[in-house]
Amino acid sequence: MRYYARKLGFYLVAFWAALTLNFFIPRMMPGNPVDALLGKLQQRGGQVGPEAREAYEALLGSDTGEPLWNQYFTYLGNLARGELGVATSAFPTPVSDVIGQALPWTIGLVGIATLLSFVLGVVLGAVVGWKRGSWLDSLVPATTVLSAVPYFWLALIFVLVFSTNLGWFPLNHGYDVALASGWNWEFISSVIEHGTLPALTIVVSSVGGWLLGMRNMMVSTVSEDYVLTAQAKGLRNRRILSRYAARNAVLPSVAGFAISLGFVVSGSIITEQVFSYPGIGSQLLSAVQNSDYALMQGIFLVITLAVLAANLVVDLLYGVIDPRTRVEN
Amino acid sequence: MSLHARWRRARAAAIGAVSLGMIATGCGGSSGGSSTDPDTLIAYTGQAGDWQRNYNPYSPDSIGGKGTIYETLFFFNVARQDEPASRLGTEYSWNDDGTELTIDLREGVTWSDGEAFDAEDVAFTFNLVRDTASFNSFGFDGDTEIVSPTQVKVTFEEAAYMDVPQLLGKTWIVPEHIWSGIEDPETDIMEEPVGTGAFVHEEFKPQAYTFAANPDYWDGEPELKKIRFVALSGNQAAADALSAGEIDFQTGPVPDMENFEQNHDGYKIITTPMNQMALVTCANTDLGCEGPQTDPAVRHAIFHAMDRDTLNSLAFQDTASEISPGYTLPERDAAYASAQLENRTASMTADVAQAEEILEAAGYTRGSDGIYAKDDVKLEMSLRVTAGWTDYITAVNTMAEQLNEAGIKVNVNQASFNETTDARNSGNFELAIDSLYPGASPDPYYVYYQFFHSSSTVPVGESTNPGWARYSNPEVDEALEALTQMNPEDGQDARQPYYDTIQAQIEEDMPYIPIMTGGTTSQFNAGKFTGWPTDVNMYAFPAVWSHPDQSEIFRNLKPAGE
Repeated sequence: MRYYARKLGFYLVAFWAALTLNFFIPRMMPGNPVDALLGKLQQRGGQVGPEAREAYEALLGSDTGEPLWNQYFTYLGNLARGELGVATSAFPTPVSDVIGQALPWTIGLVGIATLLSFVLGVVLGAVVGWKRGSWLDSLVPATTVLSAVPYFWLALIFVLVFSTNLGWFPLNHGYDVALASGWNWEFISSVIEHGTLPALTIVVSSVGGWLLGMRNMMVSTVSEDYVLTAQAKGLRNRRILSRYAARNAVLPSVAGFAISLGFVVSGSIITEQVFSYPGIGSQLLSAVQNSDYALMQGIFLVITLAVLAANLVVDLLYGVIDPRTRVEN
Repeated sequence: MSLHARWRRARAAAIGAVSLGMIATGCGGSSGGSSTDPDTLIAYTGQAGDWQRNYNPYSPDSIGGKGTIYETLFFFNVARQDEPASRLGTEYSWNDDGTELTIDLREGVTWSDGEAFDAEDVAFTFNLVRDTASFNSFGFDGDTEIVSPTQVKVTFEEAAYMDVPQLLGKTWIVPEHIWSGIEDPETDIMEEPVGTGAFVHEEFKPQAYTFAANPDYWDGEPELKKIRFVALSGNQAAADALSAGEIDFQTGPVPDMENFEQNHDGYKIITTPMNQMALVTCANTDLGCEGPQTDPAVRHAIFHAMDRDTLNSLAFQDTASEISPGYTLPERDAAYASAQLENRTASMTADVAQAEEILEAAGYTRGSDGIYAKDDVKLEMSLRVTAGWTDYITAVNTMAEQLNEAGIKVNVNQASFNETTDARNSGNFELAIDSLYPGASPDPYYVYYQFFHSSSTVPVGESTNPGWARYSNPEVDEALEALTQMNPEDGQDARQPYYDTIQAQIEEDMPYIPIMTGGTTSQFNAGKFTGWPTDVNMYAFPAVWSHPDQSEIFRNLKPAGE
C-alpha cells in the first residue's frame, strides 16, 4: 500500500510542477494577445485606433495590471473549479469548447494509428525475432529507413502520390465538408476515407521503432533457458513463440506503448498541417502564434494529464505484473 | 497569426512543393473525394486551423458575414477612385461645418427574418458602436437622431468628414429588434446571424461554413447560389487544393506565379498594389531612439542605395511595383501625388553614387573596411524581420548586400512574429521591414494620419501601433488637422496644398524608407464563374479576406455554366 501511496504522491507533485510551468512559460514569451490580434486585423485592412486597443485589452483581459502571483493563484483556483477561461484567439469561445471540438479527432486519428502501429510492429517484431537470420531480417532496415525519413517529407510525398496524382485519397480535411455531419453512414465513411492516408503515414513512419525493439527483445528472450526447456518439452513452436517468448519480450514495449498513448493527446502537429486535419495540434500552433495563454494552458493541461495518467497506469500495472518493482531496498 | 506570416511561411513551403511537383510531373487533375457543386463557390480566406463559430461582425475573431450578411450603408472601393456606392444608404450630405451628417436610407429592405429595415436599426447600430469601446475602432462620438423611417442625422462636436469611410463603409448595420435583446453584444457569437445582405447563413462545420443566396435580397437574389468557406492548414495546403481544383478563390502567393494561368486550367491570377513596404526606422531621438538611422541623411542614403528591380525579382516574384516617397499609391492616388516631390517615385535601380554623396555631405567618411563612419561611430544598424516571412527575409538579405556596397552595414536580425512586433511597437529597434496598410477609402489621408500624425507617437519603451517610427512633425500634424475640417466632396483643389506639404515633409524626413508597393495576389476560377474583377474593372479590392470587398465580388459572380 505504501508503494501506491508514494507513487500517487509523486504524481501529485509532478502535476503541480507541470501546472506551474504551464502558467509561467507562455508568459515569458515576447508579445501579447492584443498585439497579435491587432496585427492580424491590420493586415486585413482594418483600421484600429488607440481607443480600440485599450478596449481589446479590457475585453481579452490581457493587461489587467495584476501582479503575476495574484494571476497565478487565480489560475490555480479556476483550474480547481474546472474553468479554463476564454480562448483569446477565438474570442469569445471558451477554451474547453475549442479543446472539446478538436480532441476527438486527434484521439481518433492518432490513437487508432498508434494502436495499429504498435500491434503491427510487435507482431512483426516477434516473428522477425523468432526467425532471426532469415530473409525477414531485411524488414528491420526497411522499416527503420521509413522511420528515419523526416515525417513531414514522407507525408508530403504520400499526399503528392496518393492524393494529387493517383487521386485515391482526399487531399484535405477530416471529412467531406459538403456533407451534413452526423451519425449516418455517408458521413462516417467520408471520415474513414479522409483519415486513411494520414493514419497510414503515421503507421508507416512509426512501425519501425516498435518492430526493432520487439525483435531485439525477442532475440534475447529466445536464448533464455525457459524457452529451451519449453522446446525440450516438445511444445509446438507456435505456442512457444506466443506464450513463452513473445509474452516476456513484449513487456518493455507495453511500457513504451502506454507512454506513447499519453502523447497521442498532444496530437501530431505535422499530420494536421499536411492534411488540414482537425485536431489539437493545429489549435496549439495557432494558440502559440496568437499568444493565446488560456488556450495554451488548457491544451498543455490536457497533454500533461494524459501523459501523467499513462505513466501512472504503467507504474501501477508494473507493480502488478512484476512484483520485483514493489520491493523496497 | 498574421496573414503575412502565413503567406511567407507558406511561400517557403510552396517552393518546396514546386520541386515536388516537378518530380511528379505536373499538377494532378483528380482529387479523391470532395463533392463539388458547379453552383458552389469554394473560398479559402487564409483560415489556418478549424473555424470557431462566430458571426458577430464586431467581434475581433469574427469568421465571416461582414458585407455578405451584415451590410454597410455605402461601399467605398479602396482599389480605385470611385464614388461611394449606395447600399443600405442612398445618399448622404454634410452641413457647412461638417458637424451634421444626414443620411437617406433605402426603402423596402427587409431583414432575413422578414422584419422591415428602417432608421431605428441604423440609429441603434451607431449608438451601439459609440457606446461599446471594443466596437469603436475609429473613435466615433456622434449622436444619431431619427428624422424619419428613411433618414437619420448624425451630429458631431467637431468636423468629422474623415470619419465617413469608417462610419458609412465599415459599420455593419445590425437588426435592432434582435440586438437590443442581447445582453452582452461583445461576447455574443450570433450563432444564427440575421442581416440584410445578399447572403444568409446556411450551415456551420468546424472545417467549412456555408452561406446561401438570399432570395429576398433588395437588389434581387444573387446568381451565385452558395459559398463555402473552407479551413485549411495554410498556404501549402491551399496551393495543393488550387492545383486539384478544390478551391475557387483564394488570396495569397502561389509557387511559379508567372506560369500559374497555364498550369491551372480556367484559373486567373490578379495582383493589386496596396500595401506600401518600407523600412521602418526608429527615427526620433527626442523620444529615445538610438542608432545611426536617426540621422535623416542615413535614411536618404539607404533610400538611394536600394536596387529595387533586383529585390522585386529575387524576393517578390515581380509582384511588387513602384512606390512614391510621398506614400501615395502611384496609380490609384495619381491625383493626390505632389508635384513638389524630389523623387516622384523611388528609382527602381540603385544610385550608389548619390547615396555616397549624401553621406559624405553629412560628414561621414569611409573607413578602411569600406563602411562609413562619423565621429568614430560606424554606420552599422540592425534590421528586424519576422522569422518565416521568406519574401521579406530574402528582400532584407539582398538589401544588406546592396547597402554594403554603398558603405552602410546592416545586420539582419530574425525573430518570431511576436518578438518582432513587440520590438516594433515599443521602439526597441533600429530598422524593421513592414508595410504601411491603406485606410478605409482610396484617400492617402488615412495612411498619413495613421503613420505620420503624432497622435500615436509615444516614447521608446511604451507600446504604440501604428506610430512605430515615433515620428512627430508639427507641420504634418497641422496639415492633417486642416484636412479634417474640409469636405472631400468639395474637390481636391483646396485640399491639395496640404497633401503637398505632407508629402514634402515626409520625403525630407523619411521616417519610413520606401521600398516598393507590395502586390496582393489572388487566384480565382474564371472557368466556373464569371464576373470577377479585372485590371480594367477593379470594382472591388480582389482579396478574399477583405470585407466588404469580398461580398461585392460574390454579388457579381455568375455560374459560367448558364
